[in-house]
Amino acid sequence: MAFWAWLQALPLSEHIGFTWWFPFLESIHVLAIGLVVGSIFMVDLRLLGLAALRYPASRITRELVPWTWAAFSVAAVTGFGLFMTRPTAYVENPAFQIKFLLLPLAALNMGVFQFRTMRGIVDWDTQHTTPTEAKVAGALSLLLWVGVLLAGRWTGHII
Amino acid sequence: MRDTVANALAESSLSEFAVYLLGNVPGLPPIAQTFHIAGICVVVGSIVLINLKFLGIAVPGQNLSEMIERLMPWMWWALLVNAVSGLLFVVARPIRYFYNPVFGYKFTFLVPAVILAFLVYRLSKRESTFWENSPTRRTAGRVIATISLALWVGVILAGRWIAYSEYLFFYE
Repeated sequence: MAFWAWLQALPLSEHIGFTWWFPFLESIHVLAIGLVVGSIFMVDLRLLGLAALRYPASRITRELVPWTWAAFSVAAVTGFGLFMTRPTAYVENPAFQIKFLLLPLAALNMGVFQFRTMRGIVDWDTQHTTPTEAKVAGALSLLLWVGVLLAGRWTGHII
Repeated sequence: MRDTVANALAESSLSEFAVYLLGNVPGLPPIAQTFHIAGICVVVGSIVLINLKFLGIAVPGQNLSEMIERLMPWMWWALLVNAVSGLLFVVARPIRYFYNPVFGYKFTFLVPAVILAFLVYRLSKRESTFWENSPTRRTAGRVIATISLALWVGVILAGRWIAYSEYLFFYE
C-alpha cells in the first residue's frame, strides 16, 4: 500500500532504522512490556481466584490497571517507532498479523470486564472464589497476552 | 580464564546439543525467548512493584511486608525460568556472549540486583514487618529500592542491547 511506503520513506523512519535509535526504542519497548504484562498478570490471577486473595478484586484492578495502560502507551509509541522503519514488510509478516489480531481481542476482553463484569463486583469482591465470568476474563487475558508476547517475539525472527 | 571456559563450553557436547535443539526444534528460539520475556514480566510484577511500593509510588492499598512475602517467591521462580531459557542461548554460542561487553554489563547489574532482592526478602522473612518497624529502616528500604529499580531497568535494557552491541562498540 502507498501509505506504508510513504511512512517507510519518512526521514524519521530511515533515521530510526539505520541508527542506534532502533535498539534504543526496542529496549524501552521490552521494559514497557514488562510493566504491561507484569501488572495485568496480577489482576488476572486475582480474577482467577489464585493470588492476592486477601485484597478485594476491585482494589487490585483499580491499583494496577492504570499502570497497565500507562506502560501500554509507552509500548505503543516505541512499537510504532520500530514499525515505521519497515511497515511494508511488517504488515505482511504472519507473526505481526497474529499479534495485531490478539491485541484488540485482549483490549476487548478488558473492556467487557471493565464495563460489564465489574458492575456486579460488589457481590464477590472480597470472596476467594470468583464467578465464572471473572475467571473467563482472567484466563482469556493471560492467554491472549502470552500470545501477544510470543507473536511479538516471533515477528523479529521472520522479518 | 574466560578463554578457557568459553572454549571448553564451545567444544562441549552440551553446546552441540543446544545448537541442535535451536536449529531443529521448530520455533524453539522465539518460544524460549518468550519464556524469557514472560519471566521478565514476572520480575517486573514482583520486585519492581515492591520497589515502587517502598518508594510510595504504587499500590497504596496493599501492605509492603505482605507484598514481599507474597510476591518474592514468584520472582525466584521467574529467575529460574530466565536462567534456563537464557542458558540455552549462551551454551549454544558461548563465544558470542562471553566476549560481548553488553552481556558483561547485564550481569554487572543483575548480580547486585539479585543480592539486594535477597536481602529484602531474607530480612522480611526473619522479622515479618522488618522494613516498616523504624524510620531508619524505612529510609534504608527506600534507598535500596531506588538502587534496585535502577539495576533492574539496567538489566532489562542491557539484555535487549546484547544483540546490538555493535552500535556501542566498534569491533576491528
